[in-house]
Amino acid sequence: MWRYVVKRVLFSLVTLWLLATIVFLMTWFLPSDSARLILGAQAPEASVAEFRIRNGLNDSFLTQYFRLMKGLITFDFGQSWKYPQYEVWEYLRTPLAKTAKIAVLALIITTPISIGAGLIAAKFRDRKTDRAIVLFGLAASSIPEFVTCALLMVGLGLKLGWLEPVYSTEAEKLSLFGQLRFLLIPALALALAYFGYIARMMRAGTIQALDSDYVRTASMKGLSGSQVMRSHVLRNAIAPTITVMSVQVGYLISGILGVEYIYNYPGFSRVLLDAATDGDLPVLQVAVLISALIYMVATLFADLFIAWLNPRARLELGSS
Amino acid sequence: MSDTATPSAPNVLVASMAERKTARRERWHLLRKRPGFIIGVFICGFWTVCAVLGDRITPYDPFTDRDGLSCGRAPCPPSSAHWFGTDKIGRDILSRVMMGARDLLMVAPVAAVLSVIFGTILGMVMGYYRGLVDNVLSRIVEAFLALPVVMVGLFILTLSKDSAVLDAISFGSRNVIIIYVVALLFTPIVARTVRSTVLGERDLDYVVSARLRGESSLFIMTREILPNITAPIIVELTVRIGYSIFTVATLSLLGVGLQRPSPDWGLAIAEGRDLLPADQWWPVTFPALAIATLVVGVNLIADSIQAVYER
Repeated sequence: MWRYVVKRVLFSLVTLWLLATIVFLMTWFLPSDSARLILGAQAPEASVAEFRIRNGLNDSFLTQYFRLMKGLITFDFGQSWKYPQYEVWEYLRTPLAKTAKIAVLALIITTPISIGAGLIAAKFRDRKTDRAIVLFGLAASSIPEFVTCALLMVGLGLKLGWLEPVYSTEAEKLSLFGQLRFLLIPALALALAYFGYIARMMRAGTIQALDSDYVRTASMKGLSGSQVMRSHVLRNAIAPTITVMSVQVGYLISGILGVEYIYNYPGFSRVLLDAATDGDLPVLQVAVLISALIYMVATLFADLFIAWLNPRARLELGSS
Repeated sequence: MSDTATPSAPNVLVASMAERKTARRERWHLLRKRPGFIIGVFICGFWTVCAVLGDRITPYDPFTDRDGLSCGRAPCPPSSAHWFGTDKIGRDILSRVMMGARDLLMVAPVAAVLSVIFGTILGMVMGYYRGLVDNVLSRIVEAFLALPVVMVGLFILTLSKDSAVLDAISFGSRNVIIIYVVALLFTPIVARTVRSTVLGERDLDYVVSARLRGESSLFIMTREILPNITAPIIVELTVRIGYSIFTVATLSLLGVGLQRPSPDWGLAIAEGRDLLPADQWWPVTFPALAIATLVVGVNLIADSIQAVYER
């Protein structure tokens, strides 16, 4: 087991290095004039040239590449180009926390509901309840989150007036509970998309488990329905769900970007958009690497969690 | 290579082709019986008609008619003259929503098709040759999988605003650049799926015997393996079209995808968002419903095809 963990982490590090290289190559080959973008069209040529020298834009390919690699190892990426008073990480921290807030809220809302819905659908397989849940799940996961968010803004925010139709900075003065009014619409939009993924996977996993020999054995040896459910079905059904969730993290991050934008929420997407339009490369590179890191950590934890749940998977992992 | 084939090979070929044809007909029959598929085709068909005919069937000109001021001051709420209301400069929203299908339905499916073509080539090479090629490519594919598609799309599209090289290979069209970017980002995902399918095929008898016959690798990959893995590739294509629409729409929302004056839905939602606090709900709602119906339609088709092929 430990050998597996070490191997996985080492592989992740290789992937991270490759990623950083890909991101670096993209910035190297794309012809953006950061100095001009940040200083503005009116800035004198001299200060633009000075900016290039100060931030090492004139350095050779390898020097710039090794600077990024060094940053990656020492976890020190220097200052934002646009806002030199901030370290890159410092600059990204607050919006990242804000984004995490709606993502966590969405997961709290959606996890119990969608696992429950998946189990119910599996139990009433091919009947009306099942069909309804499957169809709703399909729609919920295929409609882009920002579209759901826009419709919720109109429905829950504007027409019913239960929640705030658009984010405003007013929210920042409130307690966490008071902020809910401003957080629930984006969180619900994300929750609906997650619902589609989780419920459908949960349904498929449960059906597979229910049809299996070990569940038949368990019920034949006299375990009650709920005991079989808890200790045999659920344990096995949840594994594919977790794998799918972890692999979907990239799409979920993409979804969050759209939702934040449409709701005017000052999270990760705003810094990212600003950094992209300004050509603030350090911020942009680190932002992309952070989201990739989130994906890799998520898939790693998913694999470990599955191994912990299922002794058989642990054995397979250990031998591979 | 065909002169080394045994005399009976043509007959075997004919038999297997006939078999494939029956299987295809059977699947088509099964598909037609699925209500989800019918509804999906109907929805996608509707938007395709809108995309193809465009301003020939819209009630107003989606770009130039700015007389939608029936309420005095734009934007006007839905009325009998403008069913979906007008936007903030008086253009008819129904016309713009109908027209908005055009760019999206040109860009997204083409990007998906390209990614499936390149992904299939890459995946077959990885799965067939294994070894060092596969190991190196697999690591790169994995790295790409960790990148959120929209984020990298944003990254490339903003930084490539004035690239002479990109301008040259995209014929100066923004839409073509979007196609390249989305196709590039989806290719590794397709490659991974194809690779694992090829891994399941490469040691089967028909591949082994083709290798013993002395066929070239290219022949084996394109004429032996490829026809046998069309099912997962078709499933992947339909799923990719759905994701591609999602990606292009999100990029347009963020302002880096399709550009004004395109009546694209993502753009329209972004523009209409600012009108919401003034209780003007229609500029956002109708384009949002348009995207919602289209992606549900595409996914209904994808889901049915998946169910029929993986039976």
